[in-house]
Amino acid sequence: MARDRNSEDYFKPVRRLLVGVMVVSLLGLFLVWRIDSPRVERFRLAVIDRVVPSMEWAMVPVTGFVNLVSDFRSYQALAAQNDDLRRELQQMKSWKEAALQLEQENARLLDLNNVQLDPQLTYVTGVVMTDSGSPFRQSVLLNVGARDGIVDGWAVMDGIGLVGRISGVGRKISRVILLTDTSSGIPVTIQPSGQKAILAGDNTLNPPLNFIEDRDLVRPGDRVVTSGDGGVFPTDLLVGQVALGTDRRMRVRLSADYGRLEFLRVLRSRPHEPITDPGGLLETDTMIGPQLPQTAEVTDG
Amino acid sequence: MAERSVPSTWIGRGSFAALCLAIIFAMLLPLDMQPNRWAAPDVLLATILAWVIRRPEYASAVLLAVILLLTDLLFQRPPGLYAAVALVVTEMIRKRGGRMRQMPFLVEWGTAALGIVAITLINRMALVVFMTPQPPLGMSLIQMAMTILVYPVVIGVAVSLFGLRRRSPGETNAAGQRL
Repeated sequence: MARDRNSEDYFKPVRRLLVGVMVVSLLGLFLVWRIDSPRVERFRLAVIDRVVPSMEWAMVPVTGFVNLVSDFRSYQALAAQNDDLRRELQQMKSWKEAALQLEQENARLLDLNNVQLDPQLTYVTGVVMTDSGSPFRQSVLLNVGARDGIVDGWAVMDGIGLVGRISGVGRKISRVILLTDTSSGIPVTIQPSGQKAILAGDNTLNPPLNFIEDRDLVRPGDRVVTSGDGGVFPTDLLVGQVALGTDRRMRVRLSADYGRLEFLRVLRSRPHEPITDPGGLLETDTMIGPQLPQTAEVTDG
Repeated sequence: MAERSVPSTWIGRGSFAALCLAIIFAMLLPLDMQPNRWAAPDVLLATILAWVIRRPEYASAVLLAVILLLTDLLFQRPPGLYAAVALVVTEMIRKRGGRMRQMPFLVEWGTAALGIVAITLINRMALVVFMTPQPPLGMSLIQMAMTILVYPVVIGVAVSLFGLRRRSPGETNAAGQRL
């Protein structure tokens, strides 16, 4: 190459060294991440905490505009949609009657049983800021974080069904791993049979149910709710309905509307109180119940 | 490179960085939360390769490293690995950049395609070696193919918006240096 490269001759080795140093430090970062992942993940969240909120001012109008355009396109299908809605409304009316009757019955039964629903299950509502940006990861960022009291592991719902779980909390943001992500796996119960299973995401819209105890008891259409095993999630949050996939696997049609994740509820769940002492009944000196008279404390034998 | 501190070089670098940030921004927009059956092309990688081949002095290695590491962190990838692999591959392409000027576009496309394949495969092999969870193989291959296919489109857009023509041999910059 007969080109004038005099000016680059002394610069080239320096440049090569610089690139080498950068590659080595990047690989070093990867190794550190592989060895001590939580530390680097905290660093990642700190970076996201810095970068993403500064983009929000532009992100909100652009997202709104794109949604507006796609909504406008859907006006063309309005007439057909109207008919569908009318038909659905008819069905809904009959369901509403059934629901009202059930509600009254439920209230009566609760009254009879004197059941206390968990009063501590309150929620924080957050707005979805960004998605994961990669086709391989299914997660969203919410605009609530540690300053709003969010804690890792809390359940996230939209209005109806479970959406995912908090995984990573920054100061102003938190990341929600959706149920469809490959790293998501939650224990569920299938009603009415009461079978336990694990709902493991596999990057499709309908995640499969793994480890069902007895498949014969599970039918498409059964309700899937969280089981609360492992103490991560509260029990009885609606997840979806069982459906039979084209690959003959039991899958779940999620109740949450994944097409429109906009406002999400983060449920404040309290950890179960651990039982540490062996229990009063096993020890003789701390007897539960009416105190026995002293004379009764005779060693039997 | 750095010693050509002509203002136009810095304008070029700035606009390249702004373009990359705009692409990252677009990828982060919360428009579609449903998992798809196919993977969208990695427009950012195609853009970076286009600039490395046609305007290597604007896509400086430091800038590439910063952008790639930022995407690693933002897109929940293992931090550093993809950035390192992509940096090495772009450096190898950059070395061949001067010779590619006289070649037809197909050669340039082929080089970019080789780069994309190399980045995907090396990244995946490293993930396997380090026993890190990997994305599904089919999705990665689809994304690789889509990125290769989208490269001419990126070039078309870049030529019309940024004037990213190929430099003819013997062209000089504003300071009269040969490029």
